[in-house]
Amino acid sequence: MKLLIISIFAGAALLFVVQTNIHAATVTVFAAVSLTDSLKQIAADYEKTSGDKIVFNFAASGTLARQIEAGAPADIFFAADESKTDALEKKGLLASGTRKSLLGNMLVIVTTPDAVAVHVPADLTNAAIQHIALGDVKIVPAGTYAKVYLEKIGVWPAVESKVVPCVSVRAVLAAVESGNVDAGFVYKTDAAISKKVKVAFEVPAADAPNISYPLALLKDAPQPDAAKNFMAFLDSETATAVFKQFGFIVLSSAPAK
Amino acid sequence: MNNEIITATFRKQFPGGAEIVVENVCIGGGITVLFGASGSGKTTVLRCLAGLETPDEGEIKFGGEVWFRKSGKRKAKGEDIFLPPRKRGIGFVPQDYALFPHLTVAGNVCYGLNELPAAERAARVLETLNWLGLDGLEHRLPRELSGGQQQRVALARAVVRRPKLLLLDEPLAALDTPTRLRLRGELRQLLRQLGLPTILVTHDRFEALALGDDVVVLHDGRNVQQGAVPEVFSRPVNLAVAEITAVETIQSGQILETRDGLATVAVGDARLIALAGDLPPAAREVYVCIRAEDVILMRADSVQSSPRNRLAATVLALVREGSLVRVNLDCGFPLTALLTQPACEELALQEGTQLVALVKAPQIHLIPFTR
Amino acid sequence: MSGAEWQLVGFSLRMALASLLLVLPVGLALAWWLARKHWRGKAVVETLVSLPLVLPPVVTGLVLLQLFGRRGPVGSWLHNIFNCDVVFTWRAVVIALAAMSLPLFVRAARTAFEEVDVKFEQLARTLGAGEWRVFFTITLPLAKRGVLAGTLLAFARALGEFGATIMVAGNIPGRTTTLPVAIYAAVQNGEDAHAWTLAGVSAVIAFAAVFVSENLLRRRK
Repeated sequence: MKLLIISIFAGAALLFVVQTNIHAATVTVFAAVSLTDSLKQIAADYEKTSGDKIVFNFAASGTLARQIEAGAPADIFFAADESKTDALEKKGLLASGTRKSLLGNMLVIVTTPDAVAVHVPADLTNAAIQHIALGDVKIVPAGTYAKVYLEKIGVWPAVESKVVPCVSVRAVLAAVESGNVDAGFVYKTDAAISKKVKVAFEVPAADAPNISYPLALLKDAPQPDAAKNFMAFLDSETATAVFKQFGFIVLSSAPAK
Repeated sequence: MNNEIITATFRKQFPGGAEIVVENVCIGGGITVLFGASGSGKTTVLRCLAGLETPDEGEIKFGGEVWFRKSGKRKAKGEDIFLPPRKRGIGFVPQDYALFPHLTVAGNVCYGLNELPAAERAARVLETLNWLGLDGLEHRLPRELSGGQQQRVALARAVVRRPKLLLLDEPLAALDTPTRLRLRGELRQLLRQLGLPTILVTHDRFEALALGDDVVVLHDGRNVQQGAVPEVFSRPVNLAVAEITAVETIQSGQILETRDGLATVAVGDARLIALAGDLPPAAREVYVCIRAEDVILMRADSVQSSPRNRLAATVLALVREGSLVRVNLDCGFPLTALLTQPACEELALQEGTQLVALVKAPQIHLIPFTR
Repeated sequence: MSGAEWQLVGFSLRMALASLLLVLPVGLALAWWLARKHWRGKAVVETLVSLPLVLPPVVTGLVLLQLFGRRGPVGSWLHNIFNCDVVFTWRAVVIALAAMSLPLFVRAARTAFEEVDVKFEQLARTLGAGEWRVFFTITLPLAKRGVLAGTLLAFARALGEFGATIMVAGNIPGRTTTLPVAIYAAVQNGEDAHAWTLAGVSAVIAFAAVFVSENLLRRRK
C-alpha cells in the first residue's frame, strides 16, 4: 500500500517535470486575443513542416505584458499596440533588434441584429443605448484605440457613463453577442469571425488611431532559436496570406495609409 | 358535575408499536384527573386534547364544538377537522412549565392577552399575579425564580386568558417533596377558586385523591375506568385498575357462599365477609382488594365493634413512610395496614406483636378473575 | 488611502448591506422551513441551498448570467416590462453577493432555529399566537445569537465575493467595481501598491466580522 502511494506521487512529480516532446522544441507565444484564429491556423501549418510545437497564451496585450513582467516563461510577444511592447522594452525584457511591426487592423462598432440601430458614432449618445462594451483601457489596446477615437470626434463625454469595460476584445465581442450590451468596439477581424454580430460602423482609417501589431522575441526566451524560426515564418508569404484572409492589414507589404 | 363537556374517542400509534386507544372518555366540569403509571399515555392524551399532538383517527369534542375529527377511511377525508390550539381557548401548563426564558414574569403572563387593549392587559396581569401571590416579581426572569414560583407563573400565564379549559401536566412533579406536599393543598384551593373545567395529569395516587373530583384511569394507553375519585379508588373495576390505584392488599380467594347480598370468601387461612355486589352468580375465584387505609388495628380482643371481619393478626414488619407507618401483617394471608406514627406507638407495635385487624365488609372489594 | 479608494470601500459596504436585504428574508424563511418542516424532496432543497458553497463561484456567476441576462428568463422579463437591466449594473452585484452568501446564512440560522426547543413554540400557540407571531416573538428572539452570527458571516462573505460578481456585473469603476474586483484589476494593471492597500482594508473588515461572529456563536445562551 505504501509502495503504491509513493509510486503515484513519484509519477505525478515526474509528469510535472518532464517535457512531453523531447526532441522537438516548444515555442511559447504570448499573443493578443484578436490574433487567436489566424495564429492557430498558421501554427498548425508550421508545426507540420518544422516539427516544432507552438503553444499559445491568448489574452489582452496588457494582461500578457504584466505576466511577462512577473516572470512568465515566454518566447515571443505579439501585441496589439506599440505601448505594451514599449513598456517591456523599457524594462529590458525584449531581445534587442528583434522587434517588428507586422500587422494593422480596422476598428468597428458592432451590434446585434435585434439591437437599437447605430449608423454613426453619434448614435451611441442615443438614450436607447444603455451599455457600450469597450476593452478595459488599462490593458486592452482595442479599448484604448476606441476611446482615443471617440475623444477625437467629441463623442466620449456623452458615452463615458455607458461604458462597460471588458477584459479583452473577445470579451467585448461576447458581451455584444449575449445581448447584454447594446454595442461594442472590436477589430474588423473579430467581427468577421462572429456570426452573431453585424458591423454597424467602420471607423475610417483617417480618423482612427494608428493600429499596429508589434512582434518581438523576449530576452529570456527559453527557446530563442526555434522562436526566431517561427517569427521568420510569420513574416513569410504563407503566413501573410492567412493574415490577409482573416482581414488583417499586413504592414510590410501594404503602403502606409 | 356530570354534564359532559368533553367527549373523546381516538387512537394514536407510535413507532415501536405502542398505541393509545381512548374510548368514550367523558369529562365533565370540575377537576378531572387523568391517572395512570408512567408511560400509560396520560400526557399524550392531554396533549391531544390540547391540540399539540394529533391522533391518527377519532373525534374530540368540547361542548358542541368539534375540536378534532379524523376518519381512518380515505373517503371521508373532506370532513376531517382540526382546530389548532390557539383557537381552542385552553390554558396549558406542561410539566416543566416552559416559561419563555427571554421574557419577564409580566411578559410571560401577558403573552396570551395580545387581543386586549394595553391598559386592560396590564390590569389583568397585575390582578392575576396578585391572586397567585406573585407581587413584586413582575420584572424577574424565569431563571431567577424558585420552582414553586415558576409553577405559579405558569399557572398565571394559563389562566389570565380566562380559558374554557385548563390542562395541567403533572403540576407538582417538578417540585421537591416538601414543596410538593405544601403546594398540593394550595393548588387545590386555587383550582377550586378558579372554578374552570380542569384536566390534570398525575401518577401520584395521593395527588389524584387530593386534587380531583373525577378520575379517568389509563393503563397501557387505554382508559380502563372513569368516575368520581372516591368511587374509582375504592371500587377498582379490574385488577389492572386496582394495581394502578395501588390498593395495598390484593389476594386471591375463593367464594364459599353467597347469601343475602353478602359473600363469604376464603383467603389463605382466613374467612372474610364482603359485599357480593355485582359479582356474577357463578363466580368462584376472586381477587380480594383491601386498601391499607381501611384496616383498623386493635389490641383488646373482647371489645365489640361493627366491622364484620375480625382477624387475628401478627405483625411481620413495620415500614416508616414519613409520618405514617405501613404495617405488614399475617392474618392467615398477607394484609397491609396504614397507621399514623402516634397510633403505632400507642399500640406498641413491633415485629411479632399479636393483635386484631378489623375490616368492614363494604371495604373489601371483590374482583372476579379475568381469564 | 485616496478618496477614490474610500469611495470603493463605501460602495462595497453598501452593496454588501443591500445584499443582506435580499438574504435575510429569503434565508430566514428557508432556514425555518428546513429546521421545522419535513417533506419529500427536502434533501434536494438542502443540497441546492448548499451548492454555491461548493461550486466554483464562477459557475454560480454563469448561472446568474443566464438567468438575468437580457435574453434570460428573468432578465428579458425585467428588460421588456420595466426597462430594467441587471447584468453590468449594481443590481447584478447585489444579486451575486446575495446568491453567494445565502448558503452561509441559512446554515447558521437553521442550526439556531433547531436549537430552539419546540415546546416554547407550542406553548405560545396554546396562548393564542398565530404562526407569524410565534416566529417573531418566540423563535427568532430565542435564536438571536445564531442568526446574528449568520448575518455577520453572510456580510463578510458578500464583501469578499469575486467570481460570481465579475461574471455578472463586470468591472465598471464607480458602478459595479467592488473591493475584490478592484484588487484583481489592480494586480492585472500592475498597480501593486493600490492592490495591497485595498487588500489590507478587505482583510481588516473580514477579520472583524468573523471575530465577532465566532464570539457570538461561542457564547450562545
